[in-house]
Amino acid sequence: MPFRLRLVRTLRRWHARIGFAALVFFMLIAVTGVALNHGAALGLDSRQVHSKWLARWYGVRHDQPRQAYRTASHLLVAANGRWLLDGSAVGEKMPYPLGLVEIGDMIVVGGESSLHVYRADGALVDRLDSSALPRVPLKAIGAGEGELVVQTAVGPFTSADVLSWRAGAPKVVSWSTPTPLPEADREAYAQRLAPGISLQRMLLDLHSGRFLGRLGPLFFDLVALFLTILALSGAWMFLAPRLRR
Amino acid sequence: MRPRLLALVLGLCAAQALGEVYQAPEAFVAEVFGTLPAPRVLWLSRKMQAQASAILNHPPAALRQRYWSDGAKSVWILEEIGKEELITAGFVVSQGHIDHVRVLAYRESRGQEVRDPSFLKQFSGAGLDQSDHLDRGIDGISGATLSVHAMERMARLALYFDRWSRD
Repeated sequence: MPFRLRLVRTLRRWHARIGFAALVFFMLIAVTGVALNHGAALGLDSRQVHSKWLARWYGVRHDQPRQAYRTASHLLVAANGRWLLDGSAVGEKMPYPLGLVEIGDMIVVGGESSLHVYRADGALVDRLDSSALPRVPLKAIGAGEGELVVQTAVGPFTSADVLSWRAGAPKVVSWSTPTPLPEADREAYAQRLAPGISLQRMLLDLHSGRFLGRLGPLFFDLVALFLTILALSGAWMFLAPRLRR
Repeated sequence: MRPRLLALVLGLCAAQALGEVYQAPEAFVAEVFGTLPAPRVLWLSRKMQAQASAILNHPPAALRQRYWSDGAKSVWILEEIGKEELITAGFVVSQGHIDHVRVLAYRESRGQEVRDPSFLKQFSGAGLDQSDHLDRGIDGISGATLSVHAMERMARLALYFDRWSRD
């Protein structure tokens, strides 16, 4: 058999083998590449993937909730910068809560320097940061005579609409305090409050191979080398007969 | 010497954590009105939520929007994500047109050019057209495209909210 024919056969064989072996990785690179190219339109930055396994893989600290805040009809559990209000996750990068208070048809969650106001169905009504609060840090939140009361270093302030404040507090204030979570419930809440990893970051790491750790990029370098071999062998198989003619 | 160095390091860390806050919202409001008036509230009806979602390309963050007004001017402090972090901007609206805009806090690592007065000047006098878009084009800034888009969305929302607040 002539050398040229043997070379073409060997090239074809290896072209097919390499193409098949690296198929999954080529698809992975292609799909993640297209997604990253349109990351802004797809809102990849703002999407989080929540999984205990993923958090562990990325070395993100993962705490188990030990306490909860309760009112007559609502429950707040918090951990890892996330809140579960009546079983539904509300927001990302949330502050650690100081208390939970029910005022009329509004639910108020207090942090050191913010108040989050929700409707009974969990829809966010308003978020008041330090500029909309009478003083920060807040030390506690409570309810008295149907109004919201916040405790600060210079004394309490009261608000009926969680908008305008007056110094002082009603005679009787029920301050919100945490209650321990039953041991049996902690793991279930921990699963639901797993820290989030940005989808953009995950796709970027999958695309570059960093998701697989230190050796990942080297492995993907090898995949890139395979792709180069495929392109060159493909080009040679396409051009060689035509050039000979 | 050491406590000073420690204070400097802690200060830098705090600034990093808070992002770049250039002006507190209440200071901006006080600057516009001369005093700090009591805030007013615009409750977002379903129709307003739907239109705000169309303007922002996502649902509005909250169901009530605080604003300040003396009858002639209204001030809207809005927040929107540029790429990954929130941009806080103050919009002063007068007679259905933007009087002036200021970026109060910028937390992204790139794209701070949206703070430049030469960029923000483009919003002065802008109003809304029939389809709730700005009635003029805003020149982009290379490297700050997403922040520019966020500023445009907030400007449209401020004008839209202002229209409802006067109804």
